[in-house]
Amino acid sequence: MEQVYFDHAATTPPRSEVVEAMLPYLRERWGNPSSLYATGVRALEGMERAREELAALLGAESDEIIFTGSGTEADNHALIGASHSLRKKGDHIITSAVEHHAILHTAAFLEECGLRVTYLPVDGTGTVDPADVRAAVTDRTILVSIMHANNEVGTVQPIAEIGAICRERGVLFHTDAVQTVGHLPLDLSEMPVDLLSLSAHKLYGPKGVGALYLRKGARVRSFVHGGGQERGRRASTENVASIVGLGEAARLARHEMDWESEHSAKLRDLLIRGVLEQVPDAVLTGHPQRRLPNNASFCFAGVEGESILLNLDLEGFAVSSGSACNSGALEPSHVLLAMGLPRELAGGSLRVSVGRDSTVDQVERFLEILPQAVARLRNMAPLTRAVPQ
Amino acid sequence: MTIPEPDKIIDLRGTPCPLNWVKTKLRLEEMQPGQVLEVVVDDGSPARNVPRSVEAEGHRVLALTDGSGGVHILIERR
Repeated sequence: MEQVYFDHAATTPPRSEVVEAMLPYLRERWGNPSSLYATGVRALEGMERAREELAALLGAESDEIIFTGSGTEADNHALIGASHSLRKKGDHIITSAVEHHAILHTAAFLEECGLRVTYLPVDGTGTVDPADVRAAVTDRTILVSIMHANNEVGTVQPIAEIGAICRERGVLFHTDAVQTVGHLPLDLSEMPVDLLSLSAHKLYGPKGVGALYLRKGARVRSFVHGGGQERGRRASTENVASIVGLGEAARLARHEMDWESEHSAKLRDLLIRGVLEQVPDAVLTGHPQRRLPNNASFCFAGVEGESILLNLDLEGFAVSSGSACNSGALEPSHVLLAMGLPRELAGGSLRVSVGRDSTVDQVERFLEILPQAVARLRNMAPLTRAVPQ
Repeated sequence: MTIPEPDKIIDLRGTPCPLNWVKTKLRLEEMQPGQVLEVVVDDGSPARNVPRSVEAEGHRVLALTDGSGGVHILIERR
């Protein structure tokens, strides 16, 4: 049975070009990039080439890129680093209710440290209203952090408008762009964004490496303490091979993003149309137009998302569910609840995210299997029995 | 010999060794043979090390001049 991977929002398969680019940095050019002799300089060369490739993808200067261990670390760096640097200026952070846990849990940690956090609501499509950002900014606000696109429902946020408000009010603006870098065009030379987080493995790069874009002049304190790597902004010997992989993934994305987004969007639209037509009581989640090109997400009344996921797995399809089994109780996604979906509907969520290797044939087979799986599960066990009210 | 006008200029003042050389090398890689790159580095060890690495890599140092708070290195890409 062919295994079909429809979970590109979770991770993407590293491209063969990426793996090939990395191998010399594991085999021959394994030096420490901080060493002054030739072995170190060869590693440094690979790392700096990667920094320039990533900067070119983002429309940034290479000096504005800090390599990190992950997108989550970049998010932590942005929030905790900015809070430390600007503590004298203020103690208030604004974010949204639909952020990734890398932001929400970091914000909760900062609340424990004495900061105040405003969690902005979203509308039924998962969109933050820039007017709410404007209304929430006070003289004590030091940072606004709103994601570029949501990882569960794919809604793309109006970050240009939000960033413009922040600039006008003299507040730093951070965006978690883990889902969009390499998939949607971004030009930070034009965009009013001060900090941006990204992760290599979401754009066909390796796991264990990410980056924080830090606009020149933005005051954000070092987050990992130790040596002077990354110009003193992130201690730790760099993960050179993975950084090289990120650089290659960025280079490929810069050249192929347009084609890939168009390809993904075509399959996404086939999926959305097919699911809504063929599965009774299916609801599209996220914004109908302003959404990631690869994301089709749904809720199905009267069935658990996890059960659909496991059934589809048996048929060879890898997809994701927004709900997670926690201590025996099915906890619906915080994103769907923030969008105003009732708990029983939010418990039946499914995220299908396609990629560059996905095909029309795979989508058509999926559309044959999904309606049967949902119907079977609905007949077997109504959701109301499984979800504590 | 007349000193040619540079095709590209990069200011690497404040960039330590060997990062200044690596950045110089990456710029040279993007250029065509015969084109000229002007690199501004700090006086002291950068002004000694970068030209040495440039020549070791097979490129040609056309001129080395002090001025405007740094040392200007004119390099012909080979």
